[in-house]
Amino acid sequence: MSIILNKLKSWEGFLSLILISVILVNSLNSESFLSIDNQINLFELSVEKIIVALIMVFIILNAEIDLSVASMMGLSACALGWLVDSGTPMILALGLCLLIGAMGGAFNGYWITVFKLPSLVVTLAMLIGFRGLARVLVEDRSIRVFPSWFEALGQQPILGPIPLSIIIFLGLLILAVIILKFTGFGRYVYFIGINQNVALYSGINVSRVKMILFTASGIISALAGILFAARLGAVRGDMGLSFELDIITMVLLGGVSIFGGSGSINGVILSILIVLYLRNGMSLSNITGHIQTGVIGGLLILSVLIPNLQKMIHDFLNQRRKQLQ
Amino acid sequence: MTLKTSNQPILEVLNISKRFDMTQALSNVSLKMYPGEIHALVGENGAGKSTLIKILTGVQQADQGELRLSGAPVKISNSQEAQTYGIAAIYQEPLLFPDLDVAENIFISHQDHGFFVHWDKMYKEAEKILSGLGVRIDVHNSASGLTLAAQQAVEIAKAISLNVRVLIMDEPTASLSDHEVKQLFRTARQLKQEKNVAILFISHRLEEVFEIADRITVLRDGKHISTRPLSTVTKESLVREMVGRDVDQFYATRKTRAVGKRICSVKNLSKESTFYDISFDLHVGEILGFAGLVGSSRTDVGLAMFGINPADSGSIELDDNIVEINSPQTAKKLGVAYMTEDRHQLGLAMPMSVTSNITLASLNQYLNRYGIIKREKEGKTAKEFKNRLQIKTPSLEQEVGTLSGGNQQKVMFSKWLNTKPKIIILDEPTRGIDVGAKAEVHAMIHELAEKGLSIICISSDLPEVLAMSDRILIMREGRQMGILASREATQESVLSLAMGQKIGIS
Repeated sequence: MSIILNKLKSWEGFLSLILISVILVNSLNSESFLSIDNQINLFELSVEKIIVALIMVFIILNAEIDLSVASMMGLSACALGWLVDSGTPMILALGLCLLIGAMGGAFNGYWITVFKLPSLVVTLAMLIGFRGLARVLVEDRSIRVFPSWFEALGQQPILGPIPLSIIIFLGLLILAVIILKFTGFGRYVYFIGINQNVALYSGINVSRVKMILFTASGIISALAGILFAARLGAVRGDMGLSFELDIITMVLLGGVSIFGGSGSINGVILSILIVLYLRNGMSLSNITGHIQTGVIGGLLILSVLIPNLQKMIHDFLNQRRKQLQ
Repeated sequence: MTLKTSNQPILEVLNISKRFDMTQALSNVSLKMYPGEIHALVGENGAGKSTLIKILTGVQQADQGELRLSGAPVKISNSQEAQTYGIAAIYQEPLLFPDLDVAENIFISHQDHGFFVHWDKMYKEAEKILSGLGVRIDVHNSASGLTLAAQQAVEIAKAISLNVRVLIMDEPTASLSDHEVKQLFRTARQLKQEKNVAILFISHRLEEVFEIADRITVLRDGKHISTRPLSTVTKESLVREMVGRDVDQFYATRKTRAVGKRICSVKNLSKESTFYDISFDLHVGEILGFAGLVGSSRTDVGLAMFGINPADSGSIELDDNIVEINSPQTAKKLGVAYMTEDRHQLGLAMPMSVTSNITLASLNQYLNRYGIIKREKEGKTAKEFKNRLQIKTPSLEQEVGTLSGGNQQKVMFSKWLNTKPKIIILDEPTRGIDVGAKAEVHAMIHELAEKGLSIICISSDLPEVLAMSDRILIMREGRQMGILASREATQESVLSLAMGQKIGIS
């Protein structure tokens, strides 16, 4: 019993409680909520964001931030449209897009590791830069040039009812859990996040770890952009605009400390589910998108407030108990 | 013993107890402090000194017991309240606002209120206090440019401006040079004589305690052991009370041993505006001490050899090959380890487990070909070091930040020994740890040298350097003043070199 109580006191326990209540309310509100179709659909609608959230966990654990992810999604999608439009074979175009992701991410990493610039500034610049490039490539057009097999990959289920993008997400999720929990690299990510200098003075190649993370962030954002393009069947310059905020919200709500070094994928999975289910539940009840965004914002504020409130109440009760004794 | 006392103690601690989860940090501790006395508080790490200070300054509250100020019971529930009662503390690392100037720092918490700050008055007041202390600091300077000693003087001035009645000095001398310590002591005596302040002085250096204290209180394992006037205490009796057993010697006797062949030769190592022309040989199984005052750049030479801040010119030869050490990774590969003096900021990741800190620098040994950590092998290593170095911890999964200073130091040793180095640079290996742990660390260093490890030991503790080293390299302001064989070295000869009288280099 006390084990369960202790679990509930932890952040993950708290998130589980919220998740359960969201699921309860949703399924009471709408019969279709728990149907497989709805479940797949609600994941599919946000799959690009939650894929990028996985790498964002690593970046924030490392006490860095990458604001340029959504712009990179847009850039890779637009580059794909532009390349195919100008006659590049589809497969080659896909490869080039991933390469653009790698180069863009490495570019971020270069300024952060070699010139020791804050990632907040560097990736903010690239948020503008990548988006600008995307808009230059497609201008005001909407490019719809993809072969039908590519659109089918983005829209049709390939394994039972599950589409490719969700399978990719699940694969990356397992990979992320393994890397973070069991590998030396994951250990380094935590140590660097807790205290970069301790890692440096232990002879760990801190720059290399950061470089790998930002490059991976670029590649995965580019991949998410490609999946986005496949799902929509067309590309536009404003694709993925301001997705970075949702992505970072999911990670922080999941209990990953913005100061680095603490948090886990488990919490982030819970927070992803909460955010997706909340949005879906509100959609099913015909609540508009703007209000949905407001609710998610409120949740983020609560996520910061509640642990503090909890501590205050805890301290207060303890003091009372002492006085009574 | 010239206690200018009325018999009324200014501060009374009565039967204070404090418990943290599993550990009883203080049990039934009582202490009286009189105006105009310097009262030393000594004890090993974990004896309860820090907890007691935290309770006196309102950072933590006692579970049981009472505090009385001039006879009246008081409750101190935060540091502002402590301030209003006239209780102030200064620490080893002063907590000033680096961008504010000296006067602003002094009056930070109690500027003359009203809508405008009375700048003129504030600067004059600040100057008056500082000159009263016999300290010359320009009150318009920003705090960031001050030496540690000057920063402490500012903290003391701040306490005076708050009409301090009880001043707690928590290891104020740990980072000061001898000269600065003398200055601090002059200030402390002045406070006691002229302002009738009661000073609670905490230090790990017993020499200092004997120099300055009027009375000495010993804590051990959270219990009050004794409070005696200085005249009835000897060094031996004090140490006996602190550790609860006889410690034969402060320092393990150094056996004269033959050192092996040359393993490392450093020639004319220089780094612009830091250190110049450092040259020495290091042999297998040798302990080479680095002595010098604060600011002599000994640490910088260590950091250059470890590749954190590589040197600009000069050469390092390992096993007769000239090597280029431009990163800690290279140093590690070449078998050079550097154990930092700053456990908290540079040495250990405090929220991580003992095990993962021990294997941090050698994690590659524990990875399979997919990069997965072999937990079992890792745990085995941690256990080996726990037994070998007698690390006291409830479990190896314990957060390393919860261990005592001495045990944290042992975890750092484990971390570097596990990289199987040929040369280890120890920077202040016994800073901030208690007498018992100190003796253990000394014995350990000797044992490592016996086994053929070559050791560079940077230390500000002169008796320690003299007792430990085979040879001593003395530095002053970035320059090498000489190398003495330990049998010809004395406190006087090392100190005179460190303070600038050059004699023949051997």
